[in-house]
Amino acid sequence: MATESVKYVAPESEVKIKNKVFPRPGQHTSGIVDWLTTIDHKKIGLMYGMAALFFLIVGGIEALLIRTQLWSHNMDVLTNREYNQMFTMHGTTMVFLVIMPLSAAFFNFLMPLQIGARDVAFPRMNTLSLWCFIAGGIILNLSWFFVGGAPAIGWFGYAPLTDNRYAEVLNDMGPDFWIFSLQILGVASLLASFNFITTIINMRAPGMTMMRLPLFTWMTLFVSFLLILALPAIAIALAELMFDRTYGTNFFDYLEGGKPHLWQHLFWIFGHPEVYILILPAMGIVSEVIPVFSRKPLFGYGLIVFSGGIIGFMGFAVWSHHMFTTGMGIVATSAFSILTMLIAIPTGVKIFNWIGTMWGGRIRFETPMLFSLGFITMFMIGGFTGIMHSSVPIDAQHQDTYFVVAHFHYVLIGGALFGLFAGFYFWLPKMTGNMMSEKLGKLVFTLMFIGFNTTFFPMHYLGMIGQPRRTHSYNEGHGFETWNQIATVGSFLLGVGVLIGVLQFFHSFRSKKLKPAGKNPWDARTLEWTLSSPVKEYNFARTPIIKSRDQAWENNYGSRENHSEKEPLDDHGVHMPDRSWTPLITATGLFIFVLGMLFRVTIEFSNLYLITPYEIALCGIGVFVLGVIMWATEGPGGYHLFPNEEEE
Amino acid sequence: MTPSLLIQSLCNRTALLALSIVLAGGCSRVDHKQSALDPKGLIAQNQYDVFMLAVWITIFLFCAVGGCLLYVLWKYRAKSDEEAKEIPPQSHGNSKVEASLIIASSIILVILAIPTLQGVVLMNKVPDPNDEETLKKLKLDRSQIDGAITINVTGKRYFWVFEYPQYGIVTANELVFPVSKAVRINLRSEDVIHSFWVPKLAGKMDVMPGHENFMWFIANQEKLLTRIDKDGVPYTEGVEQAMPSVHDGKMRTAVFKKQNFTDEFEPVGGLFYGQCAEYCGNSHAYMSFRALAQTDGDFDSWVGRMQDAQNPNLQPGPYDPQKDYQSGAVVLFADESLGDNVLREYRTPDGADRGEAPNLSGVWEKAHSDNYEKGKILFATHQCGQCHAVNRTGIGAKGPNLTLFGLRTSLAAGWMRNDEENLAKWLRDSESVKMGNLMWNGEGVTDDHPLRKLKDDDEKVNLLVDYLLEQK
Repeated sequence: MATESVKYVAPESEVKIKNKVFPRPGQHTSGIVDWLTTIDHKKIGLMYGMAALFFLIVGGIEALLIRTQLWSHNMDVLTNREYNQMFTMHGTTMVFLVIMPLSAAFFNFLMPLQIGARDVAFPRMNTLSLWCFIAGGIILNLSWFFVGGAPAIGWFGYAPLTDNRYAEVLNDMGPDFWIFSLQILGVASLLASFNFITTIINMRAPGMTMMRLPLFTWMTLFVSFLLILALPAIAIALAELMFDRTYGTNFFDYLEGGKPHLWQHLFWIFGHPEVYILILPAMGIVSEVIPVFSRKPLFGYGLIVFSGGIIGFMGFAVWSHHMFTTGMGIVATSAFSILTMLIAIPTGVKIFNWIGTMWGGRIRFETPMLFSLGFITMFMIGGFTGIMHSSVPIDAQHQDTYFVVAHFHYVLIGGALFGLFAGFYFWLPKMTGNMMSEKLGKLVFTLMFIGFNTTFFPMHYLGMIGQPRRTHSYNEGHGFETWNQIATVGSFLLGVGVLIGVLQFFHSFRSKKLKPAGKNPWDARTLEWTLSSPVKEYNFARTPIIKSRDQAWENNYGSRENHSEKEPLDDHGVHMPDRSWTPLITATGLFIFVLGMLFRVTIEFSNLYLITPYEIALCGIGVFVLGVIMWATEGPGGYHLFPNEEEE
Repeated sequence: MTPSLLIQSLCNRTALLALSIVLAGGCSRVDHKQSALDPKGLIAQNQYDVFMLAVWITIFLFCAVGGCLLYVLWKYRAKSDEEAKEIPPQSHGNSKVEASLIIASSIILVILAIPTLQGVVLMNKVPDPNDEETLKKLKLDRSQIDGAITINVTGKRYFWVFEYPQYGIVTANELVFPVSKAVRINLRSEDVIHSFWVPKLAGKMDVMPGHENFMWFIANQEKLLTRIDKDGVPYTEGVEQAMPSVHDGKMRTAVFKKQNFTDEFEPVGGLFYGQCAEYCGNSHAYMSFRALAQTDGDFDSWVGRMQDAQNPNLQPGPYDPQKDYQSGAVVLFADESLGDNVLREYRTPDGADRGEAPNLSGVWEKAHSDNYEKGKILFATHQCGQCHAVNRTGIGAKGPNLTLFGLRTSLAAGWMRNDEENLAKWLRDSESVKMGNLMWNGEGVTDDHPLRKLKDDDEKVNLLVDYLLEQK
């Protein structure tokens, strides 16, 4: 039975300014316009995910080029500058355009479903966040095509290598693209974070107390707080660098009294919380998957939440362990060393609790569980090498060698990416309505697990026998060849695994042959599994009244008083807002502004300046302001739906 | 399918574990040229010891936690589809277990924290020579600290300047140090950040522009003499084999003779490989160097030779008939055969009389070959001297100091062996050897620069090679 719908009629008191150029597209919008103007958190999440998977392939190709170049000594697959561009772009892409947006994809899609909300607090802001992310990704990769090519400064952009004075290509624009792209990606993350925090705090369904939140939602909250506290540091650093490069200020130029150390402090006080921004979402996913496939609630829920908070908080107190070799002196080095060791404790707590969750359960080895188990073991190895690096004397040898490369790939692939893949295999049936092939999933896991370990385990040894990082080549006679070849073979295996996985994800949206998922294919525990797959545009036909922590599980197996109830639908039904062009317009304004700032074009015609350097940037600001005004005045619009209780 | 995957992941994990134990146990040969697993000095040894402690702690933890995980996975796996649908007791946690695990992990961290803090102090401070207790604990003799030498290291794109302020000498890319003395290193940069790293002697310290950093190291002669042969059996090398003298070229000869450049293990025990460890630009990978250990006597002789070579008062001057010349002193005379107004170096014979016009055709010996003299002219006319100092300290020079260049074992910041063939290749087209090097790409070097025209000029290249390698 089709859901009845009624067009929204604005009350007399509401301000009405008719926007004739870009009216809000209404209920029956479909196709490209729908995707461009959607404000549905689920579609936004999917777009975040698809774009991030695309960038995963891009960053992966860069990684494979790097590995090919390192096959043997003195290879010329890439020139040294190309190699340096590759590792810069690989790092920046994987951190900012893959892991962060993949996490954001899951935040967007799942968090409102897990707390019983119909959307996030500010749906249009959510759309703006998406388009800012896309703009940032485009700007970063545009750099390949202009003077100097992509940046060759490392993803950490240490001053003074970023200074014009040390540019190795005249008028190198790479670092400028990098600066502006990170700034605009920062805007995207900030918008999303404020949105998520507001949503989690204000829009939980009745009865969904904080201590009943699913773990993944808790991690969304922590990560959002980490982002809004950490991003300003890098925004300032990038702004200062931009001024140094563009207007000749001297924040980091030591010849004029600037301080290269300053950049490192600003970068890492963002950069270390960033590490937790990358790993906490994966931890949240694993904390959802393991209880489901053990058929037991999370062991020590309170402690896991608390340790997540402690990790987030302490993440701001350990940044200088990236700088042990920069000469900070005995006291600072020792203090950061001890603090870094302390952060191992809450991390260990999580691992203990995951094992505790499985203890006494009925463990099923479906693909999401395999990826979660891969996460635990690989993250453990990455964590252990992390403890080694917290010790300054060890770090003095390991810093900037392949040992560190091995360490953080164990955390970011074996950890974050395995966790995110667990999330895909777990939640894609909810997103698409189709179950994915278990056989293929297990193949992907096997390829990734073996490929990953073959690639990165030998790097520990390579680092110890002296191979430095970020070198496009190594000399004969160091004994690096064999291990590098093993690593390169492994990396291609890993690449094939990831590629099959990504194709499988895209395939599951379109395929008609796959088994339908139904509401709760895994017999899972949290609220999103009470909804149909794929989820209807209004999420919940009636707002649920929450009675317990694992609501879906309790509804199936719990005692009667723990079953959720539903709020009655009042007479105007579910108000669905119309779609909107304004976020896209606003983001386009920012995009034009950035291009204007990057190129500062001058067009002259018979001694008449047609365009002076900043006019395009000003136009961008104009579009941006226009977008904001239209946004503020377009009114809610929309329509009312009257779904049946069964149509959830 | 479930058990097979389980076994697979079990095998993977066991293999990993076995591999790490093999590596940790030192069963495979680990004394590669740049290996931190083969410490030859006090600081590196300390860092190695803390590392091994951490390795054993983490292997223990991995076995304990991983074993626990495997046990749980095996014991509580759903053996059938029916069992997968059972509902186990829904327990929510156990605060006693949780608390005791937290306390246990804190204790393990304390075990690591104590040597860490001791290591921080050790690597940042040369022990006080009056503090006998510490010296005893570190098995150092007071004279090793009292006689410490200081080296100011300047990192430049993409080579290293080593200045010895106590002796007033400057060299580049090959640091010579006495084996029995502490070496204080002051680190400075004139462009971007570099990092000074000789893995076998000490961990790295960054070379920050506008901020002087400090580190120190001291080699351990006993360890340095302990080598491993091809079959992995340790043996002791003699002092002369391990540390051939640098000042008379024995080091270079020994290194070249004993092994090929491509061999994986270093030819002599006293030769250490170093590397820039902070990304510094296009040619970062090529920015390596060497550190050569010497006995005290050989070190003093090397310093003496460097001091003489770089002493401006000892440079040969034009012949002055009114001056007394000692036998063997080098003076300059015009030599028409080399070109107009070219001065050539001659060695004063025994009994050269004051005021006497010298007999150049017989008694006065030419100090160098014709090729050397021609090479010297080329060196000047090809503007090499604008960046390279020869027989001068040349502080602030753009390129590496080339004083006594013929004694060096390596070329192009440790990238190649310093022999005729490599040097010729380097001079002909350094860009193809080390892309992005500043001799080829530096400020003011354009296609018009004579250096870039050496490509097809074998004659000139050979003359320059002769000139440079005769600097010894």
